[in-house]
Amino acid sequence: MDQEPRALTAAAALAVLAGALLVSGCPAPAPRASSASAPMPAAPTASSPAPSSGSAPAVPTPAPRPAPPPRENHLSPATRSLVTQARTLMAHGDLDGASSTLDRALRIEPNNPLLWIERGRLRLAENDAHQAEGCGRKALALASGDRSTQHQAGRLLADALRAQQRNQEARAVETQPYMN
Amino acid sequence: MFILGAGVLLLGLAVVLWVVHLDSVVTREFQGRHWSVPARVFAAPLELYVGAPVAAADLDEELHRLHYRSGDPAAGPGFYRRRGEVFEVHARRVRFIDELREPMQVSIRAGGDSITDLRQADGTELPVFRLDPPVVGSVFPVHGEDRLVLSPDEVPPLLRSGIKLIEDRRFDAHPGVDLLGILRAMWANVRARRVVQGGSTLTQQLVKNYFLSDEQTLGRKATEAVMALRLERHFSKAEILLAYLNEVYLGQDGARAVHGFGLASEFYFAKPLAELDVGELALLIGLVKGPSFYDPRKHSERALARRDLVVRELADAHLIDATAAARAAASPLGLRPPGGSYVPAYLDLVRRHLKRDYAEADLAAAGLAVYTSLDPRAQAAAEHALAQNLKRLDAASRVRNDHLEGAVIVAEPNSGDVVAVVGGREADSAGFDRALDARRPIGSLVKPAVYLTALETGRYTAATLIEDAPIELKLEDGSTWAPQNFEHVIYGRVPMARALAESMNLATVRLGLDLGLPQVVDTLQHLGLETRPALNPSLLLGSVEMTPLEVVQVYTALANGGFRARLRAVHAVLDEHGRPLKSFKVQVEEAAPPAAVYQLDRMLTLVTTHGTGRDAPNRLPRGTVVAGKTGTSSDTRDSWFAGFTGSYLSVVWVGYDDNRPTGLTGAAGALPVWADTLARLKSVSFQPVPPENLEERWISFKDGLETTPACSADAVAIAVPKDSVLAGEPGCNSSPGNAPAPPGSLPEKMKAWIKNLVR
Repeated sequence: MDQEPRALTAAAALAVLAGALLVSGCPAPAPRASSASAPMPAAPTASSPAPSSGSAPAVPTPAPRPAPPPRENHLSPATRSLVTQARTLMAHGDLDGASSTLDRALRIEPNNPLLWIERGRLRLAENDAHQAEGCGRKALALASGDRSTQHQAGRLLADALRAQQRNQEARAVETQPYMN
Repeated sequence: MFILGAGVLLLGLAVVLWVVHLDSVVTREFQGRHWSVPARVFAAPLELYVGAPVAAADLDEELHRLHYRSGDPAAGPGFYRRRGEVFEVHARRVRFIDELREPMQVSIRAGGDSITDLRQADGTELPVFRLDPPVVGSVFPVHGEDRLVLSPDEVPPLLRSGIKLIEDRRFDAHPGVDLLGILRAMWANVRARRVVQGGSTLTQQLVKNYFLSDEQTLGRKATEAVMALRLERHFSKAEILLAYLNEVYLGQDGARAVHGFGLASEFYFAKPLAELDVGELALLIGLVKGPSFYDPRKHSERALARRDLVVRELADAHLIDATAAARAAASPLGLRPPGGSYVPAYLDLVRRHLKRDYAEADLAAAGLAVYTSLDPRAQAAAEHALAQNLKRLDAASRVRNDHLEGAVIVAEPNSGDVVAVVGGREADSAGFDRALDARRPIGSLVKPAVYLTALETGRYTAATLIEDAPIELKLEDGSTWAPQNFEHVIYGRVPMARALAESMNLATVRLGLDLGLPQVVDTLQHLGLETRPALNPSLLLGSVEMTPLEVVQVYTALANGGFRARLRAVHAVLDEHGRPLKSFKVQVEEAAPPAAVYQLDRMLTLVTTHGTGRDAPNRLPRGTVVAGKTGTSSDTRDSWFAGFTGSYLSVVWVGYDDNRPTGLTGAAGALPVWADTLARLKSVSFQPVPPENLEERWISFKDGLETTPACSADAVAIAVPKDSVLAGEPGCNSSPGNAPAPPGSLPEKMKAWIKNLVR
């Protein structure tokens, strides 16, 4: 059906490869910045290119990797500043404002599990454990391969289940390997 | 005598009752006037941050859309200056959902395809900055009217004094009716032997606008006078003037009446009232006397003369100085070009979601602002793609005067945000909204639900061989159903991945019957279909009817890793004080097991590399991973494509309104519209996070045997539960070291090609 053109030059192949690696969006570890003064469990907040940009420069690494390395999720400077804003609003009791600010962050990085954890924590603060559960499950799915984030997502999910008196399910989450 | 007295008494009583009645009408209606005020609707603001996919041209376009003017940004809010890649913008005071932002100056660098630097005027870095949300219209247009309601502090002082000067000089002194003014008007009319002056006060004009018809009878005049007097008794001059400025009729925009200075300012000049100069304000003030007679678009000479007359009067009354008057008189009318961004289909959805998510009583309040997820860029892309492609398809059609129709919806699957809705090829004419209301058989768009049902059982993988062979079914009504493949070919035993990618009917029907119709319908409902289709075997081939919007809802869960995000157009509604109305929050729920959805999604990417949707990625940057499905209903009456990248999900329908066959498959009709829409948006690859209990394996697309790219030209990567046992291609090394990387990390073909290169 669709045959890959064999006439590609090696240079072109490298360029395509570089592009392919770019869209792979595996965030490069970067210096950690702290936002530990926030009232919620602190999320790792090192910067990484926003996944929706897909155009940041990267070093071409032509070697195909057999298995993806362990992932690590970070917030970009933009979403980190929004999370800080949301936490401030939350601390002042403006849950609606915090929710809208987190919406903004999620529009920028819809697949960042750390943001889904923030949203889930906010839903818990709003006494909406059902929605918090949804956020926890979503975060857990997105955190696949990232132990630290899985742990936070699992914590959120267990809390959301407990808040719904589903203690057994909560315990089942807490006994998952990533919770150690 | 007694009778006469009684008569007078009765008459007096009647007059009193009449006045009391009018009084109550005036009070009630005036206080309740907010009921008739529609809410302003805003599109999503453009978010800027380093890395945001916004090119310099996009930024320029957006600033233009927001009516920012080129000039020294120090001149004030609403001005910007572009120097190459760098934009200096003096942003206006803006109300966002979560913040009231004061005017601020920012410097934005847009290099290449994205934002590369973002700073405040003093040089400090800004992590994130959003432009004003563009106004896209208003909802609840009672009597087809529309308003941009001004608050007292939004009324320029010159407008306040100017309107009194021109329309009602004694406004601050009279009690609602100006006897002196009436006498003067009568005298002027007698002298001129025709009606040259009206003598109506602003209060009377307001009453007339509010409560009365246009007929010119003595009775109506009397009612108007009494009502005006009563209104002045109950409300302050300031309140009445403000109501007048918001109510007065100032022009006609097609079927829409332009009421109030706020809307008129946008309608004629495309800027907020606060930014109008003296000449522009003078034109609006002058228009009150006769919006159609002085219509500046139709009768520019008249309008110019009228404006200059107002300018002279303002100068004579020392409301402006001579220099300002001279400058105003020398300036052109400064009208914006007619037309603009009118998005009836999207507003339709906004109206429905408001009704769904908010209490009706709350929505009746005045001065509401509705913040939506509409993305004007996506909307324009979808409108353009649909119009162009339908034109092309009509031209290629053998039937003369064919008029294909279509609908496009674009959404962000993670949030459920609907960013664009096109309800027909004439995107800007309100009418039948096909995106929301055309309920059509979805054809093969239903198939992913069948395959997902199979994967959920755990008994099937993408490599499982299923039988594509003829089948005949006796239906309940006694008839026989013998489905056929589109190409009338029988494929035999094929892997599930290929059966879905090539949209095989026989294999799908057999699979669906093995799984059970109720199970397939359950899957559809879990994914978000709200109706329960009849358990007819033909539903396996998409006899089930859905609107494009319903299809989007179902596919949202597929594009979102099995999580259902409730579609929404409305993010928030703020009241006139900026407080949010109570609403439902985004609903995110697990709709299907994420691992099963991941396996299905990998199969849906094969549709666009090896199957019926091969043309979908053509117009996207090379290597962009796309998942999707074509759909064609029986006799090609409906052409569908539903597909998603990592950024957007879009569903396109193409067909005739009268349901005639189109001769178009999903790939020929709807798919090009999808591809053109997505080509104009910036997408990243569809690249979901692989669940830990799955792994990537290579199979031959044709026969499903495990293989390697080095071994088979048709090797494709699929996801299967870890340690699945797959039948292997003889002599092909399928050790874990050859495991394919997840999609998007490296195009598989490319990887295979590199392997051949290094060998």
